[in-house]
Formats: sequence, structure tokens, C-alpha cells
Amino acid sequence: MSEQRITLTVNGENIEFEAPARKLLSDALREDCGLTGTHVGCEHGVCGACTVLVDGRPQRSCLCFAVQMEGHEIETIESVGTPQRLSVLQQALHECHGLQCGFCTPGIVMTFEPFLQEHPEPSEAQVREALSGNLCRCTGYQSIVDAILLAARRLREGAAS
Amino acid sequence: MSGAAFRSIGRHEPRREDARLLTGRGRYIDDIAVPGALHACFVRSPHAHARIVSIDTAAARALPGVVAVYTGRDIAPHTTRHRMAPPIEGLQPVESDTLPVGKVRFQGDPVACVIATDRYLAEDAAERVEVEYEVLPAVATIAQALAADAPRVDDALPSNLLSHQHATHGEVDAAMRGAFRVIESSFSMQRQTHLPIETRGCIASWDAGREHLLFQVGTQVPHPYRTTLAGRLRLSESQVTIVSPDVGGGFGQKIALYREELTVAVAAMLLERPVRWREDRMENLLASSQAREDDCRTRVAVDAQGRILALELEILEDFGAYSFYPGNYLARVVAMIVTGPYRIANYRYDVKVVLSNKVGNGPMRAPMAITSWLMDGTLDEVARELGLDPVAVRRLNMLQPRDYPHTMATGEVLADITPRETFEGVLAAIGYEAFRARQAQARRRGEVLGLGLCTVVESTTYGSKFYKAAGIPGSGHEAAWVRIEPSGAVNASVGLGATGQGYETALAQAVAEGLGVPSSCVKIHLGHTDIAPYGMGSRGARGGTAGGGTLYLCAQQARRTVLAIAAHRLQAPLDAVRLQDGRVQRHEEGAWQDAGLALADLARLAYLDPLALPPGMSPGLEFHQSYEPPPMTYSNSSHACIVRLDVATGAVHIERYVAAEDCGTVLSPVVVEGQQHGAIAMGLSGSLMEHVVYDPATGQNLSGSLADYLVATAHEIPRIELIPMHTPSRATPAGIKGMAEGGVMGSIGALMNAVNDALAPFGVRADRQPLSPTYLRSLLRGKQATENKQ
Repeated sequence: MSEQRITLTVNGENIEFEAPARKLLSDALREDCGLTGTHVGCEHGVCGACTVLVDGRPQRSCLCFAVQMEGHEIETIESVGTPQRLSVLQQALHECHGLQCGFCTPGIVMTFEPFLQEHPEPSEAQVREALSGNLCRCTGYQSIVDAILLAARRLREGAAS
Repeated sequence: MSGAAFRSIGRHEPRREDARLLTGRGRYIDDIAVPGALHACFVRSPHAHARIVSIDTAAARALPGVVAVYTGRDIAPHTTRHRMAPPIEGLQPVESDTLPVGKVRFQGDPVACVIATDRYLAEDAAERVEVEYEVLPAVATIAQALAADAPRVDDALPSNLLSHQHATHGEVDAAMRGAFRVIESSFSMQRQTHLPIETRGCIASWDAGREHLLFQVGTQVPHPYRTTLAGRLRLSESQVTIVSPDVGGGFGQKIALYREELTVAVAAMLLERPVRWREDRMENLLASSQAREDDCRTRVAVDAQGRILALELEILEDFGAYSFYPGNYLARVVAMIVTGPYRIANYRYDVKVVLSNKVGNGPMRAPMAITSWLMDGTLDEVARELGLDPVAVRRLNMLQPRDYPHTMATGEVLADITPRETFEGVLAAIGYEAFRARQAQARRRGEVLGLGLCTVVESTTYGSKFYKAAGIPGSGHEAAWVRIEPSGAVNASVGLGATGQGYETALAQAVAEGLGVPSSCVKIHLGHTDIAPYGMGSRGARGGTAGGGTLYLCAQQARRTVLAIAAHRLQAPLDAVRLQDGRVQRHEEGAWQDAGLALADLARLAYLDPLALPPGMSPGLEFHQSYEPPPMTYSNSSHACIVRLDVATGAVHIERYVAAEDCGTVLSPVVVEGQQHGAIAMGLSGSLMEHVVYDPATGQNLSGSLADYLVATAHEIPRIELIPMHTPSRATPAGIKGMAEGGVMGSIGALMNAVNDALAPFGVRADRQPLSPTYLRSLLRGKQATENKQ
């Protein structure tokens, strides 16, 4: 399979690499961009672990090819907070015990960072509806839901002050 | 909990693991960069049962980037065969090849392994491997397996009956003969799989010069895994290091050494190059361990009040094609503990485990998952048959607090548990009487509600004595070390394998408590066999008692030494010094006062000024401890669930869920609450939707994607209300009992009992899972609710 030069814009940086046209965005992010925070859980678009932002919107990185993403802005978990400085959502997940093994967590963070911007005052039902696209086998979801609602409240309070 | 006595244990501390995992800085197997690593891809059987006639690998080997293709014949000389033959009465000894040579036994059985420079190329090449099969009839159901003319899954065995155990305790026949009624009920639990969101994977690196294998793999049991891997490769344990990094969930799927992993190790040794493998989700659903699939029947003899006079239990379990665990390992425990919190002196069980052409079974979170549904579901049938209130039947049969310690009919001893308290607790919380009134009103409006109850006695920490009594090979002990560094930093390790439980947090609290330091200065090291002591790893719910308990004891040992140094230094009697929050306190003038010494001062002394130590004391502050827990520890819980059943569609909606759990002393309330949520969710998900489906005619797996194998999302799992209770065990360090599986057991029972409460007016009963709309509609079709059946 012949390789071609691909340029992706990831977390504000242009990254160039050689890869075949069939290379999935998820694999390219992990292997060619060295960004292993995007996890691959099913490779058929169900589990949501590989969710990244494409032009600001959550998208399964296992369901598109890297080459298709040229010219688009991609954001991965590595662009959201650091261990020393968590985002409001990450901090809430930490405080509410919204993660256990952590494998599904980056996908959940990437789904809900934009969700919280679009839904500053979500209901629990709305959160559960949006979260139903991410499988978590450890938590039973409740603490994740609580964390998202807590983050929403803090973001509102932050915006108000 | 005797919370006042503890300073670190039981404190609400957020997890240490979180920061890296939240920001994409975790390190799971597939995140580890290994320069020059080759990629493995397995060729798998498309047939459930077939002879391998020939394998042609030439076309695959000819592809650019392909380094090697190995078949079972190529791998066999480099490994010993798999042998599972513990001396257990009624259990057939079995042996198998590393990769099948003669025949395949399930769809997905690996027949060849392609090694290439890139995973995409390895997958391309796997499709070029041509295998000629002679298809054999498949064994796809328990009935087929037990048929007189059944094809044999394992040609070396006389039949497909892998294991058969039975026992009678007390006077069962006499009680049955003299009973007011004998009531029979059936319970069927479908085949499921663990479905960790991270699939399996491994990286093998062979250092030919040092003759040493570094094997990185997500495993729950690093040391037993190393022993098995080294043995199968004919290496010594000194030649193998297992490193288990962050692991994306295990639930029992990451315990045994898999054949794929062994093959990857062989390939790395033969090629003298690192080889890595990551399973894809279809492989995980087709070829990673599966679980459950039990058909059970209970018969109870009762008197007119519903008192149980005798119980018979029959279990038939489909174990799949290979025995990676002893065949009696899972079902036998169900039989040993099924009577749980109820007084049943006369008891008989019969447990048969059969082989079939499916993936080999293993333990899955709550290997004894069906236990509490069997028992509480049986009590519900008693209530229904005799027209009694299910709560009254439970109260009548449930042991009283004064009855403990209680020796069950099987000889197992229950102590320090509180089923009556958890039961009454959930009844009050869910408002049982008020619900019955609401249910009757709803029914008049044509709405169908149901309430289910289930009380669980969860076997948590399996001691060596229990294993021996149950005829299961294995040890229940655990080992730990604690090292106080010259700076006063505390490192500690235990033989557990973390898969998301939060050990780095909860176990640090156990060490901090035992030593007398803040948990923030304790660092827990896990999953590296050159670092961790040889312990038995993580399975069941042993992490708290075996892991936390051993560390607690080891830290207490460290504290005793530290205090001896402090007393010597201060010229004080030993009972007049203590260590708290990392500082030495001295009892003077009737009060504890800071003695002006920190742990760091004493540690510096121990390492750098050993002549100042008490006479005869060795330099350094390194401690080791192993610990054998009691034969068994038990936690208990009660679960109450209210469902709304849509009769027209067969959809079940969980309206409310309450659980009261008593798991003794809690190391980390954060972690325990998360385990309770997760366990209950896993039980509900399994009962509502999960199902590994094999075609009964061909043995083809029909659930090879997440569009087919359904698991519950945030939509289906309800908010879970928890009532914590804490009665410490008097037999374990710090009173820890362990927990993590009872929620699975209880939620299965509570949900099934709730649905059957809803179905009762229609004169039908759900005796199998999953509770799919299709199944429930098949029960309800043509049925009308009759008022007098409620």
C-alpha cells in the first residue's frame, strides 16, 4: 500500500507524516502524531473512546481516514488541561470519581467539553442522552453524570462572576 | 465503621490515579512505544468445529512487510502443552496445544499468527493464509453436549462432561417427603463476556544476550501469570519480567495466560525482535474469555407458612471449548454458598459442567453471579405458590443476628454479617408498603409495575482453606513490602494487579494507617514482577482484605521498628511513643505531645547512622509481610428495584434502585462507592441486554460487534441509591471484608424478581435472561392480567 504525505492540524500544530490513504485518524493520531490519549476501544464507532473534536465538533476518530482530515482543525485530549491544571470538567470528574480504569475517559471529556458550551444548563436527562454514546464498563455512569452537572454549574458560576 | 479509631482508613480522598488518566497521559499497553516492534495478527477459524487439513502460508509470507507466519506446528516445539489437571474428584484432566494443530474447537480459535512490520500489513497477510478445514458437527447447546451421540469437543475425553460434583447435607429426601409442598423453579443465565473497554494486548521483548523476556501485558495477576508464562516457555522465573501498565478494565478477562500471548512471546524469542499485539473488538467478542451460561433448577420443600425444609439445586454450565480454568471453578462456588442468609439445614446439589464449541469460560465479575437470584427467586416462587407476601417469606427464613456465626449446610461459616439489617434497610428506604398501594392503583390504570428484592451474601476473600475445601487449586495468601526511604518517603508494593479499582489511593490509605503517616507520602507500586512481592493478584473481591490487609500488617511492622528507634532516641519507654501524621509523639504529663522527631529523622538514622540504632537492630527500614486470610470473608447487601413494564412493547424501565451494603471497614469510601455503582450496573446490563449468541445449528458466533453484543448505556442504568453499613470483620486486619461483586449478584436478582412481580398478574414468569423486549413479549403474547394473581 503506497504511502502519501499527510498534513494534519492537531491541537493547533501542523504535523506532517507519511501514511497510506487507508490509515484511520485514530491510528494516525496515536502512531504518527504521538498522541496516545485518544483511545481505540472498538474501531466501529460504538464505544466512543476515540472521540476527538473536528472543527470543534465531537467525532469518532476510528470512523474516518487521516487523509480526509487535511484542512480540518483536530483537537485531542492532550489539548484539554494538564495533570497540574485540569479543566473544569476534568476537575469535576476527579472530585466525583467519574472515572475508574480511565480508558473511556478521554472520549467522554472530548464529548462534553463542547456539550457544556452548547448546553450551559443541561438536565440530567440531557446529560444521560449525550453520554449514551460513550460506553463505560466501570462506573455505572452515575458519577460521570454527577461530574458533568457539577462542571456545568461551575462554568455558569464562573461565567456569571 | 469504627471511624474514630482510624485516621487514614475510611477518609474521603479523591483518587491519585486520576490526573494522568483525565489528561490522556495514562499509559496503557498500546500507548507504549517500542522502536522496531513487529505486529502480530492471528488467523482464526471460521468454523465452530473442524479438522485442520492443511495450512498454506506461502501467499502471506510473500507479501512485503511480512516477517514470519507461524502455525500451531511451528509454535509447539517452543512451548509446553497447556495442562489443566488438578486432582479434583469428578473433574476430567485436560491438555491442549498452544495453537490448535489437529482441530479447531470454536469460531475464532487461532490457527496461525502473522508477524509483520505494521498492523495493517499483518491483517492483510492474515487474509492470505489459506486453511483447509474438514467441518465437523458442532456442539452449541448444553443439551447437544450431553446427548448420547454428541460430537466430542475434546477427543481425548470420553464425553463432553468436563466436571460433575454433587453432595447431600442433612435429610433432604425425608424433608421432601414430609413437606406441605415441593416447589420447583428454573433459572437460566445466558452467555456473557466481560467487555473491558480496552481489549487485550501485549508486547514481548526478548533480550537474547541476557536470555531475558520482558513481557508487558495488562494482567490482574502479574506473578501467577509470570510463573505460567515462564513454565510454558521452559524458562525460569528469573528470565521473565511481567510489567502491567495502566489497564483499561479486566473484570476477570485478564487473568489466565492466553494462547495468543504465549505465541507472541515465542515469536519475539524466535525473531529476536520485539513483537506486539492488540486484539480488535471483534476478536475480543469472538475469542477472549466468556462467562456464565448456566441452566439451573431449584426444588424446595416448604411448610404451609413458607418455611424452607430442604433445598435441592441442579446446575448445568456450558464451559466452552477449552478449560483455561478448572471446570468446577465457578459453578461449584455457587453451590457452596447459595443458601446465603437463609436457614436451610437439608441441602443437596448437583453441578455438571460441559464442554461445547464456544470460547472457553473464565471468571467474570461475580463468577457466582446467579447465586442470589437462585435463592431469592426461589423464595418468590414459594410466596407466589402459597399466596404469601414475599417479604414475610424472607423474614421467616432469614437468619437472626443472634444466629451468627452460622455454619451453612455445606460447612461454610458466616460471621460478622448483617443481612437482616440490610434487608430491613432497603425495605424502609424503598417504602415497600406504600409501593404495593401504588402498584395496585397503577394497575387499575393499566400500568404495570413490579418490585423485586434480593439479599446477597458475597464471598469476597478466598483463603487457601476455602480453595482446598472447594476442590479448587490455588492459594489465597498475599504478600507486601513497605520501604521507608532515607527522606521519609514511603514506598510500598503488593502482588495485586490494578485494572481501574483505584488501588494507588485505597492501598496508600491502608499503609498510611498502619504506619502512622499521611497517605500523601505513601506511593504504591503495582504490576511489575521485579518490584512487587510474589502475591496472588486481583480476582474476586480480595483486593481489600488480602491486598489492603497485608499492606496494613506490613506497615504496622514498619511502625513497630520506627517506634523502637524513636523510643531509644528519646530514652522513653516503648509504650510512651507513637507515630501520627509522620511525627513522633511522646506521652508525657498525661497527654500526647510532639517529641520533635519526624519519620524522616528516624529514617536518616536507620540508613545513614546505623550505629545510633538500638543495639542489635539491622540498618535500613525495609519490611516484608505475607498474610493468609481466613478461609473466607463475606460481605452482605440487600437490593430493591422497582420496574415499569410496557406490556405492549416488552420494554423494561427501571424506576428506582436502592441497595444497602455492609462490607465492613472501608479503606476508601470513594473507591467502594464506585465499585458498588459499577457492580450494580454490570448486573443490570447483563440481565437486560448482554448476550453472546451462538447459532444452535452451526455454532457460529452471531454477536461479533457492539451492534450485536449490547451493553447498557447511561440511558438504561438508573440512579443508584446507596445505604452504607459497616460491621467490621473480627477475623481480618482492620476489619476489612472486601467487596466488588455483590452488586452484580444483587442487581440480577432484584431486577429479575421485580420483572416477575410485574408479570405475576399475567400468569407468566421470566426464567431466563436477557430480558429483551422480544423475550418478554413472547411471554405476554395472548395473556391477560387477572386481578387475583397479584
